[in-house]
Amino acid sequence: MTETEEKADPPAVMIEPIDISKLDPDFREGIRSMPNGEELSACFACSTCTAACPIANTWKYKPHQLIRMILLGMREEVLSSEEIWLCLTCFECQERCPQNVRVTDIFFDCKNLAAEESMIPDSIVGLAKELLDKGQLYVVTADWEREDMDLEPEVPGLSTEEFKAILKGTRTGRIVGGDE
Amino acid sequence: MSDPVLVIGAGVAGLTAATQLADSGIRTVLVDRLPIVGGNAMDLYKAFPTDDCFYCFEGSRSRPGIRKCFYRSAILDQPNIELKVNAEVTEISGSPGKFQAKLSVGSQYIDSKKCIMCGLCIERSNAFSLPSPQCQPQAVIYDPELSDEGAKKAEEECPTKAINLGAQSSEETVQVSDIVIATGYHEMKPVSIDEYGYGKIPNVVTQLELAQILDPNGKSGGALVRPSDDGQVKRVMMVQCVGSRDENYYPFCSKICCVYALKHANIIVLERDGTQVTVVYMDIRTYDRHERYYRVARDAGVRFVRGRVSRLEACEDGTLDIIAYDSLLDKYLKFNVDLFVLSSALEPPKGSAELIKSLGLHSASGFVGPADSTSENEVVAGDHVYVCGAATGPAEIPESVTQARAVVSMILQSRK
Repeated sequence: MTETEEKADPPAVMIEPIDISKLDPDFREGIRSMPNGEELSACFACSTCTAACPIANTWKYKPHQLIRMILLGMREEVLSSEEIWLCLTCFECQERCPQNVRVTDIFFDCKNLAAEESMIPDSIVGLAKELLDKGQLYVVTADWEREDMDLEPEVPGLSTEEFKAILKGTRTGRIVGGDE
Repeated sequence: MSDPVLVIGAGVAGLTAATQLADSGIRTVLVDRLPIVGGNAMDLYKAFPTDDCFYCFEGSRSRPGIRKCFYRSAILDQPNIELKVNAEVTEISGSPGKFQAKLSVGSQYIDSKKCIMCGLCIERSNAFSLPSPQCQPQAVIYDPELSDEGAKKAEEECPTKAINLGAQSSEETVQVSDIVIATGYHEMKPVSIDEYGYGKIPNVVTQLELAQILDPNGKSGGALVRPSDDGQVKRVMMVQCVGSRDENYYPFCSKICCVYALKHANIIVLERDGTQVTVVYMDIRTYDRHERYYRVARDAGVRFVRGRVSRLEACEDGTLDIIAYDSLLDKYLKFNVDLFVLSSALEPPKGSAELIKSLGLHSASGFVGPADSTSENEVVAGDHVYVCGAATGPAEIPESVTQARAVVSMILQSRK
């Protein structure tokens, strides 16, 4: 057998480990202090939430991982993740959690925090814009369905102007206005 | 008069068995290798599940000997107990019911019945020390390897003449009817598990060593300090299953290390201000009602990382850089800690294999197994040979006490 002098090449890309000291320990406490966060720290990462979730198998970060990330203080990663916005809010995870962690509600809190910091996916901003412009998300068109049912083309009494006015004064208005 | 019972090991199980036998009128020879009784429990600081100091432990409450408020110990004064510390059983012969046990008794430099623990000898020489204010026997201990001129002076000046530096070791043989094995466990020193650097890198300790640092009776007065320089510890990492559940070391789960690791984590986070604890684990096995330690730990902010440590590097300032793999996140995490604590496997104590062989007992992963594994009598190891406590395998204190009482009950029945 010949002896080889060859050395193994270093891996193509060495990924730096996550430096714990650079994470934000206040994030955990921040979420925990919110009304839904009381039981946050009870999580023992059994992943029941991920097993319960109907759509998480397409997610990069699964629900139990997002909770882990909150506990570790990975503020940036959680608030900029698209998963918190993809959540269907079916509450299946929260219903099944053996430690009473309010998983879905905590994701709502995360969305609110993300919104405060203008970390909202474009698609969501688009929806907000639609809501603000039209006063409703799904505009009823005077199509054949209403006709078939002997209904008049316009929805009677529907007035979106008030909604538009109210929404303008809320966070939805600020998000679309981009003045944050 | 019937022969006495030999109890090997004066830890939780052995003390319970000996005192209860003695109280029932049965003479007992209680032997321990160390100069004081209590075994591992003496070094635990707070013991689970009651979080009492062992000295006042529930199972001993009816035994004034173990309570600190009593000057003299029932273990010493109960006439049915013959306590032999610094002593080892070297050979057992004879037949069941009539064993001959050869004992090697170390030099008795201090007469514990005379010592009043005035501390004069400790002032004169480093060879004398007091292992704990509540130690039993209530006496100082002497280390001949540290002998000096001061020791001789102390011998002369001792107000009660309790010191005899010329004491010699002795051998004796006792005839006993039954043997109770209560030899406990030993915490493995994980020197051969390279990746954790134990014994090579400073500030890497085991859980029992951590318990001694946290003990208010210890050197630092209970302050959490680094062994290397006594600097204050701000960040701690613990690793579970070091040598346990590992076919290269001990294939079994050491059963109680998850609970006492979390007990320590909780003491540190809740009672040592501002110290952060991270626990790296494969499974947390806080069985039964001990789940509460896990729950309290999570509430208290102990950080849990499911995975293993991949790399450990000592820094110049005495801290350790650690990279751990978090298998739940599938990410590598980098930590900097002051103290790295290994939850090392609990192994059979020295001499277990010889004892098992000489008495023809069954070995259960090196611990003493029951004579009949299908019977419910787990404390019956052989004919007139009983086993209790951690000599059967890792056990918690209430379990050890219960088993010791079972042994006492069986011996009493056999003598009816």
